Amino acid sequence: MKVLVAVKRVVDYNVKVRAKADGTDVDLNNVKMSINPFCEIAVEEAVRLKEAGVATEVIAVSVGEKSCQEQIRTALALGADRGIQVETDGKVEPLVIAKLLKAVVDKEQPQLVILGKQSIDGDNNQTGQMLGALANMGQGTFASEIAVEGDKVNVIREIDGGLQTVSLSLPAIVTTDLRLNEPRYASLPNIMKAKKKQLDVYTPDDLGVAVTSHITQIKVEAPAERKAGITVKDVEELVDKLKNEAKIIS
Amino acid sequence: MDFTFSEDQLLFQESVRDFLVNEVTPERIRASWLTDSGREDALWNQLAELGLTGMTVSEANGGLGMTVLDFVLLAQECGYVGLPEPLVHTVMVAVPLLNDLGGELAEQWLPKVASGEAKVVVGLEQNLLVEDAHVADLLLMQQGGTLYAATPDQFSLCYSESVDPSRKLFTVELLDSAAPVASGEQAATLIARTLNRGALGCAAQVLGLAQRMIDLSVHYTGERQQFGKPIGSFQAVKHHMANVAVRLEYAKAPTHRAAYAVATGQGVAAHAVSHAKLVACEAANLAAKNSVQVHGAMGYTWEVDLHIFMKKAWALANTWGDAGFHKTRIGERVFATDAVLGAGATFV
Repeated sequence: MKVLVAVKRVVDYNVKVRAKADGTDVDLNNVKMSINPFCEIAVEEAVRLKEAGVATEVIAVSVGEKSCQEQIRTALALGADRGIQVETDGKVEPLVIAKLLKAVVDKEQPQLVILGKQSIDGDNNQTGQMLGALANMGQGTFASEIAVEGDKVNVIREIDGGLQTVSLSLPAIVTTDLRLNEPRYASLPNIMKAKKKQLDVYTPDDLGVAVTSHITQIKVEAPAERKAGITVKDVEELVDKLKNEAKIIS
Repeated sequence: MDFTFSEDQLLFQESVRDFLVNEVTPERIRASWLTDSGREDALWNQLAELGLTGMTVSEANGGLGMTVLDFVLLAQECGYVGLPEPLVHTVMVAVPLLNDLGGELAEQWLPKVASGEAKVVVGLEQNLLVEDAHVADLLLMQQGGTLYAATPDQFSLCYSESVDPSRKLFTVELLDSAAPVASGEQAATLIARTLNRGALGCAAQVLGLAQRMIDLSVHYTGERQQFGKPIGSFQAVKHHMANVAVRLEYAKAPTHRAAYAVATGQGVAAHAVSHAKLVACEAANLAAKNSVQVHGAMGYTWEVDLHIFMKKAWALANTWGDAGFHKTRIGERVFATDAVLGAGATFV
């Protein structure tokens, strides 16, 4: 079974993101970039499926500028067998990414596509679902457990207030939640091996997809700073303020 | 000639940094102080799985066949987190000595070191005490002009407390059954090389320690407010840390140069290592002093993490040759009647 895993290059989760002074975008100068944490979980799950003998090949695919090859190499170091980059310029919105991934799916014919549920930069949570619709595949989103059984994949989904188990016919789309697994660290020998693994580069034209934009980013700004608190004299004053100023108790 | 680190070396550094920063937290270090051995098998196994314990072990013996130059940036990262496990010692000191000794001893132990099954510890007379002798599966020990190899049943230990709670130091007494593995001129050469590698490992680690102290201080002075502003915005405070940053930056090049000299067996290796250890330890010492200053009195308390890194820097400054020892070595070279000095002799 061939597994396709999507990986995205994002600002590292440890970085405190700042907006540019002119408010046009996030400042990415000298900022550490990494593989999106949810995508890393997706790679780990695919590699585990391969180690368990369920998957035969794991392909990591990324859409973005040439720099995203670093994240594909990271996925290869974590255990993916080969990589595909779809080279695009600038920001690409989820629908276009989904269309490009659909073209890669058509080309590679994977039985299972695993994506992160969302990227930590855009927080859109759209690509997996859009890909499911475009490719006409069943989707198990927010997965906390995956089990492939014959021509089905059972996915335990994390939903509000509990868990839901769904069974999907393969080929299928799964998007990962945080608790699906704990990704491994890439070992030094695997980092070296990753440099020699195959990495194919396609353009949107190669895949017959037009990169169009339907969204214009107008402004990016930092959240408002919290105001300093006040010290109250006693419980009575606290209750009075909660009742009459904050109006959160009656 | 290109002296910059290769893409691979920088990639290794980034990867190992991610691992160490996430896994070797101050909380984990504090927890290790409460254990008998102060060492964690689980962490050592993780380091081995990443391929770190076998970095300088030859490929034939199950390692990656790299040099101390490939490891020097990783040693800095080990310093940055205050790693208690003897990884720097293993990769930069024990394995190269085993490689140099060669023969059956190397064939027997190197694969075990690479896989994380065994720890090999080296004790030279330069260091009065031997760190991590209690977890050594094989001890390579200098006694006079001879190097001995001893397994745990061939030596006895007496614990000695360190200023740094992460360091486990011992006086070692070899039993008669310990086997000599090198003597005479061969042992003298090996001891000299080992001393250089140990001092280089210290220099690299204290660079990381100094950087950590800067980072902790910058973070703290960015949060702590006085007169309605973060104290880091006041020149009197920020200049303290800027001075450390400058000193640290100027200590990096000598350390990397020393790693290059050791890895390529240059004649200037001993001199380059002494230079590196002196400037790196001076930078770390200044980092410790100024970090305590900008933290205020709380910088010296047990609760604040600063002391974890400060004490390790102090301890390493006096290991594998103190400042006096290394200044003497440089003095002997510079003032020798046949000294070749100047830019043209930098890499002679």
